[in-house]
This record gives sequence, C-alpha cells and structure tokens, in this order.
Amino acid sequence: MAEVIVNPSVSVNSISASSLRNIYTLRQTNWPGGQMIVVFVLPDNHPAHETFTKEKLGLYPYRLRQIWDRLSYSGMASAPIEVKDENELRARVRATPGAIGYITKDASKDTRHDGIKTLTLE
Amino acid sequence: MTASRRSRWSSLLLAGLLEATAVHADGLADTRFRIQGFAAQTLISSTNNNFFGESRDAISTDFTEIGLQAFWLPVKSLQLSGQILYREAGEGDEEGLRLDYAQADWRFYQSDAAQFGIKLGKVKVPYGLYNETRDVPFTRPSILLPQAIYLDSSRSVLIAAPGAIFHASAIGAQGTLDFTLGWAQPDFDSEAVEYVFLGRNRPGALKDSSAFSSSLRWEAPTDTTLMLTYVDANADYEPGTPDTLGAGEIHFRNLLLSFQQRLDTVTLTAEYGQPRTDRSGFGPAFPDGGRDSITRYVQGEWRFHPEWEVVLRNEVNYRDKTDKTGRKLQAATGLPAHAMYSDDWVIGLRWDVTPNFMLRAEYHHVDGTSWVPGLDNPDIFATEQRWNMGLLQAAYRF
Repeated sequence: MAEVIVNPSVSVNSISASSLRNIYTLRQTNWPGGQMIVVFVLPDNHPAHETFTKEKLGLYPYRLRQIWDRLSYSGMASAPIEVKDENELRARVRATPGAIGYITKDASKDTRHDGIKTLTLE
Repeated sequence: MTASRRSRWSSLLLAGLLEATAVHADGLADTRFRIQGFAAQTLISSTNNNFFGESRDAISTDFTEIGLQAFWLPVKSLQLSGQILYREAGEGDEEGLRLDYAQADWRFYQSDAAQFGIKLGKVKVPYGLYNETRDVPFTRPSILLPQAIYLDSSRSVLIAAPGAIFHASAIGAQGTLDFTLGWAQPDFDSEAVEYVFLGRNRPGALKDSSAFSSSLRWEAPTDTTLMLTYVDANADYEPGTPDTLGAGEIHFRNLLLSFQQRLDTVTLTAEYGQPRTDRSGFGPAFPDGGRDSITRYVQGEWRFHPEWEVVLRNEVNYRDKTDKTGRKLQAATGLPAHAMYSDDWVIGLRWDVTPNFMLRAEYHHVDGTSWVPGLDNPDIFATEQRWNMGLLQAAYRF
C-alpha cells in the first residue's frame, strides 16, 4: 500500500483519484486556492514508485515517464523532482511548501506526527 | 543562420544554464529551475542505399544526438524553457551544436480545470504525436521516427521556429483537451530541405517563409489519444547567380490525423496525412505544379517486461497519389520510379538497462526510396528499390 503525503501548508485533507492522476501527469499544477504544486517522485524502478503508480494512478512507471518526457522536453511543464529513497522524499516534502509525494505504508508509520500530512483518498 | 550567430546564441544559453545551475545549491531552487539532458549514439548499416552517412555495406557512426534542456519558473505565470542540441545525421545534418528552441510561455489564466497561455520565441511547433520531442531518443517509439510522417530530411521546417503560439487546455471528467493556434517563420534554408521541395540542391535559397499551425489533442479517459494537426507553410525562392530557376514559391499544407490507444502493456498508434505541395513561378525549368502525397503508419508496441519493449510498424509513403508506382515520373523524366514511394516494415527492441540507460536495436525492410536522404545518395540513379537497414543505439539520460 502506498500513501499520499503533502507538505502541511497544503490546504486540502483529501484528494480524488482523478485529481491525483492529473497532478502526477503534470496537468494540474496548482492546489485549490492557487498554491503551486511541487511533485516529488522516486526512481522509475523503485518498488514504492511501482506500487504507487500502479495502485493509485493506474499507470505503469514507463507510461508515466513517457508523459513527463513529452511535456517537459517540449517546455510545457516541469518534470517531477526525483529523489533517491523514501527518507529523502519525506525530508523534501516536509521542507517544500506545496509539495506532494508518496511513501509505502511500512515507511509511513511515524509520519503523521513529524511535519508531514497524509491525504485520504476520496 | 550563420555559424557565428549560432555559436553566439548557444554560448549565451550555455552561460545562462551554468549560472542557473550554480543557484541550485539552496535546496528549494530545483522546484523552480530544472535541467535535464540526454546523449545518444547510433550505428547504422544498410544494403543498396545510404542512410545517415556511408552506411551501405559498411557501418556508419554518423548519427549523434546530445541535448541539454532547461526549465525555469521565475514567477507562477511565466515559464521559460529552452534546449541546446548537438546533432549530426549524415550529410543532411552536419550543423552540430545549435539552439533547438527557447521560449517564454506566459500563462495568463490558470485554474485547476483550465489553462490559457501564449508562447513566444523560437517555439516548438506541434505536429502529430512525436514532433515536439523528436530529438529525445527516450520519447521515440523506435530509433528512427516513422519517416513517412516525420521526414528527417525536412525536419528543420517543422521542428521549432521564431513565432507565437496560443494554447488552451481544459481538464475534466471527459479527459484533457489541448488546443493550439500559432504562427511561425520556419527554416527552409538548407540543402536537405531543397532536396525535398526542389528536387536537389539549388544555387538559390528558400527564404521569407511563413507558417500557420493549429492542433487539437484529446486525451480521453479510455486511455485513448486523438489528435488533429493542421499546418500551412510557404516559402519564396531567391534565385542564385546563375540559376535555371526563377523567383518561385513553395506552398505546403497538411492535415495530420493521429490516434493512439493504450491497453495495459500494449500501445497501438496510427497517423495519417495527405500533405499537398504546390510550386509556382520557377519558370520553364521547373514548371508550375502540385501534388498530393499519402503518408501513414500503423504501429504496435508491447512492453512485455518492465525493462523490455518490442515494436512493430508498417509505414507507407506515396509522394504523388496519382503516381503511386512512379511510372509516370519515370516516363516523363527518366528518374527511377521507386523514388516516388516507400513501404517500410520495421521491427525493434528496446532495453531499459537502468532508468537512465537504454539500448535499442531495429531492422528495416524497405521497398522504395522516397525518404532516402538525397544528400547521402547524391547519384539518384545509383539508388536501388529494395533495401534493408539495421540500427543499434545506446542512449543515456540525466
């Protein structure tokens, strides 16, 4: 199981499946209210990334990468920020206003209390 | 563009990129500034005809692509992006380093359901599914894009050009809809483009170009992509001295239909167009005329393992739909009939060894020479109707 985490500055507490997909396919770039979304990801072959993309987005990692490449190399959007592991991802989401990321359930045990907000899925 | 102007542009951009990389250190900078790039080398070997260098019965190493792309968001409503590209591709592209594009995108309306903006600068021209990222090996379905639609010899006309493009996007339950409408001044001034539109390298130059383009792309919730692209471009010929051609005009227009359906690990893609080319005013040596071409391909990709993909494609091109076999051309001019068509079967294999490193192999079995590069095969009578080609590519990204 993968969980969606955001920086505490993000005003929403829940997110719809379509909104999550629009954010990770770089189509939705602002939170409701106008705050800029900063998207964090793990490497394409990281097990937590594979779990997240298949389970929450219904997309294989390679398809997501195709979408990012098309939009970023044509200058239409910024590619997501890739970090090396879940610890770094957690640290960056904590430190970055508007950030969104994900962690697997095992790694998420203690995150509710350390400056990261977990979103419930609608 | 002259070499000195080109290198000045490139060094300016490079200086900007390096400066921006230095700002990277504060930890938050990468949320507003991103840099990425790629480098690829391809080996090509073929029978009977050359493709990208001396590939016939030999191995050509003359296909190299290196790119550095930057994206900067100085304020929320302004996106700046650009790419410098080093590319060598046979005799037809020996330009080396160039500014591929550099655009400012002012997004004057943004909400979570819609975006409107205008791009200014040397802008990427939308044309079918692959044009805007055609030099990024990782975004292509195969080492070579379908030449029937994405003819490399005339790539400079449609790749990116000084101009302005209005764009609008809507995101909703019915998927996403993207619309563009633009005007640009494409680059017709190259030997390779003269081969495509004027038959061979001419003493004069194609100048004073103008192009109108519009596209509509729908990403449906059924994992379907439908796209329509319309391009209408023209260029004036400025005769050289001496020149057998007068001050004529070339006019090109095309409505391109694109379709893609994604089914689990299978991707089916097809694109179809009937580009029309007209010429007038060149005088008796190159009489007024026009023709409708037919270009199409059908392609299947199967990601049978997370790191492995196989692609199969058939692409067909008739340069004149009233002379599919080329016999009329042969009877009228003595030129080889097979220069008027191509039917290419392609099979390819992709291995993503790591997320950053890719190896590819592909094989082409071709009947016809309509997209054989003229500059790599200067003697058209030495070209042969049936030919095969094998390619190997290594590509790295960062």
